[in-house]
Amino acid sequence: MKRFSVLFFLLFVVTAINAQKYMTKNGYIGFFSHTAMEDIKGDNNQVASVLDITTGELVFQVLIKSFHFDRALMEEHFNENYMESDKFPKSSFKGKITNLSSIDFSKSGIYDVSVDGDLTIRDATNKITTKGQIEVKNGELTATSKFNISPEDYKISIPSVVKDKINKNLEVTVTMKYAPVAGK
Amino acid sequence: MKYYVKIALFFVVFIAIGSILAALILFNKKHPDTAKVKPDFVLTATVLQKDFENNETAASSKYINKILEVTGTIVSVTAADSTNTNISLKTGNEMSSVICTFHKLADTSRFIPGNEISLRGECSGFLMDVLLNNCSIIIKKE
Repeated sequence: MKRFSVLFFLLFVVTAINAQKYMTKNGYIGFFSHTAMEDIKGDNNQVASVLDITTGELVFQVLIKSFHFDRALMEEHFNENYMESDKFPKSSFKGKITNLSSIDFSKSGIYDVSVDGDLTIRDATNKITTKGQIEVKNGELTATSKFNISPEDYKISIPSVVKDKINKNLEVTVTMKYAPVAGK
Repeated sequence: MKYYVKIALFFVVFIAIGSILAALILFNKKHPDTAKVKPDFVLTATVLQKDFENNETAASSKYINKILEVTGTIVSVTAADSTNTNISLKTGNEMSSVICTFHKLADTSRFIPGNEISLRGECSGFLMDVLLNNCSIIIKKE
């Protein structure tokens, strides 16, 4: 009987350690540019991301062609002229939650988070630091964040003809609903 | 003399109007209505995912930006936000599916995991799953 309890306890611990990864394949990332001339909004609902709550490691992968714009011509320009998505089909973020110890993933609530990491767009990588929130509810995590990036930092050149139509700072909004990945 | 000037003027105005119309048409170009456009490929979710899994480069050349008509079993229906819905289709690989984003899906309650559906969408590429956008449901006529 005692041996069984020890084995059961060990299995439970091992499973608990393994079941520390959360994932989504339907995450949302959108960006918004506001100028007096025009508002530009791109939405991507196919963001893939994995969050390891034991280490705080956070990874995002985005397909550039999955960004949807209301205007078809704008989507075409985005892909062909600015992002060259045939050449650089994906964008990624690899980073870490830096205040992991202040989050209790077993307790429902809304926690402020700080994230550091490398953001790669086209062939340029920059270190970014952002703030966001993680809501823990019913075993699922919802992570949200809003931050700005500059197209210039990612070698995205904006022709002078349209300089007034695109803001030097793009507002990026992230909304991800993570579910735990079953431990093996 | 004056007659020739009139003809020249007519052509100038004609070309000017033509150019403005062309620019307006291009500016207001719509996303293709995948429900009405003829698909470039008709296949199952299993075959599509397998092609990407076996050779991502070759499958990318073959399928990206093309209109695909895909048949498969629903694994999940996720309301991305108020207007977008993601339907995932089952493939031969448990870890990888075909994710289809619908920008305006009227009644999502009729899509239940386990049901088989046919849909059409533009192939955007592959992350961990094959990703289709601008999707429409195809109702096959028996």
